[in-house]
Amino acid sequence: MGVEGYISVMTRILVVDNGGQWTHREWRTLRDLNVDAAIIPNTTPYQRIMEEGVDGLVLSGGAPRIGLDGDLGNCNEYLEKASFPILGICAGHQYMARYYGGLVKPSKTPEYGKVELLVVEPDSPLFKGVPSRSIVWESHNDEVVVLPDDFMLLAESVNCKVQAMQHKTRPLYGLQFHPEVEHTEYGEVIFKNFIEMCR
Amino acid sequence: MFNAKRFIDETIEKLRDEIDGKALIAFSGGVDSTVCAALVNKAIGDDLIAVHVDTGYMRKNESENVRKTMYEMGLNHRFIDAHKEFYAALRYVHDPEMKRRIIGEKFIRIFEEVAEEEDASYLVQGTIAPDWIESGGGLRDTIKSHHNVGGLPKDIRLRIIEPLRDLYKDEVRKLAKELKLSVNERQPFPGPGLAIRIIGEATEEKVEIIREACFIVEDEIDKAVVNGEMSKPWQYFAVLLPVQSVGVHGDRRVYGYTVAVRAVDSIDAMTCNYTHIPHSVLERISTRITNTLKDKVNRVVYDVTNKPPGTVEWE
Repeated sequence: MGVEGYISVMTRILVVDNGGQWTHREWRTLRDLNVDAAIIPNTTPYQRIMEEGVDGLVLSGGAPRIGLDGDLGNCNEYLEKASFPILGICAGHQYMARYYGGLVKPSKTPEYGKVELLVVEPDSPLFKGVPSRSIVWESHNDEVVVLPDDFMLLAESVNCKVQAMQHKTRPLYGLQFHPEVEHTEYGEVIFKNFIEMCR
Repeated sequence: MFNAKRFIDETIEKLRDEIDGKALIAFSGGVDSTVCAALVNKAIGDDLIAVHVDTGYMRKNESENVRKTMYEMGLNHRFIDAHKEFYAALRYVHDPEMKRRIIGEKFIRIFEEVAEEEDASYLVQGTIAPDWIESGGGLRDTIKSHHNVGGLPKDIRLRIIEPLRDLYKDEVRKLAKELKLSVNERQPFPGPGLAIRIIGEATEEKVEIIREACFIVEDEIDKAVVNGEMSKPWQYFAVLLPVQSVGVHGDRRVYGYTVAVRAVDSIDAMTCNYTHIPHSVLERISTRITNTLKDKVNRVVYDVTNKPPGTVEWE
């Protein structure tokens, strides 16, 4: 099999850049896990993504308040049309919640840095191999305060109820914390689980 | 996984295609610029000129060590002492972003002058991912303007080449190891140097203070690491605060400045834990700083902030 054949069997996941400090870190984590990964602007038309071929999307976090109101580039189009798995992180997660009818508000107690995560839905494929309590790192001013009807809660922290969510029927996942940073204990496990779903 | 050997081979190949003629490299002597210099040197040989600028904001013995590294690597090089220019440019400047932009522009103007003398049209920089990420632009907020990215003036007459742009420090260290460079274990030291470790105006007098304080922090921690009292942090240094407080030295009142000790653990600087330095080590640092700097510094504090919410350097 030639080089082209090899590339075609690699899972291809695109990271949609919403302007986060850790967008590139998400790309790196995927690449380190042998995924064919690329960063794309959030203004990329859905049509183009499909033409290039894709197995999954990561919606990155973004500069302060981007998940609170207004649009997040073409993220709405991706959520509407995609049949492949999508993982929203931080602002990407907040936008996903808002798109499906949830509510995002400024956090009463924002979280920066180290937080203990409590998994409440251990059967979720995203948290396979993640213990019920673990350390995650955060950096958010806003949070999902009302979960959309079609979603279920996967994990919480003392100061933030919706740390992780999953669509009830479609492969859509949202995380308030950052699985891509070095200090999140089981970040790589979560990414591996997501990649598994994209295969 | 990141494949150092493959990256080196591919980059050298690319650099050969990209560079036509002579190139300068901004050479601070840190891991990034040293690795970069080695790669470009392999690609274009003596057409590369390493330029080291002594800004006056260097650590103790820094420029001497850099000179040695340039010799050891057999690099074609230039050594520019610009400390007077940098001190003058930063007079009365308090704002951290302003400091970074002034320093960034000064560097470029110096490189442009050297480039003209050497007839070079490219400037190679050891920029890595966190530099451009934190510098912001587009949707991304500016956390701090790294001198080599956000601090660059708009009207640059040189073509910028940044072979390490998509890498993080741990990956650059892998390259250093593969290239058998001894800088592999050096801790990061950002280009603006001691100027951003002095909160407020970075005067000559304050540079002397912080240079000594940084040296003491490094020296004591290095010794503690050798003695097995702690493991080596990612980055460790001192910050000079503009806060003065009352102390007593030999029955006399003193009113000196405050030094903050900062040390963090990380692999890529994108998230950091503050280092849990043993109290016995902190005590040695504190006593030595105040004894050495006498009435200039009479209080030492310890920074226990992670990133986020803090950043590694204070400015």
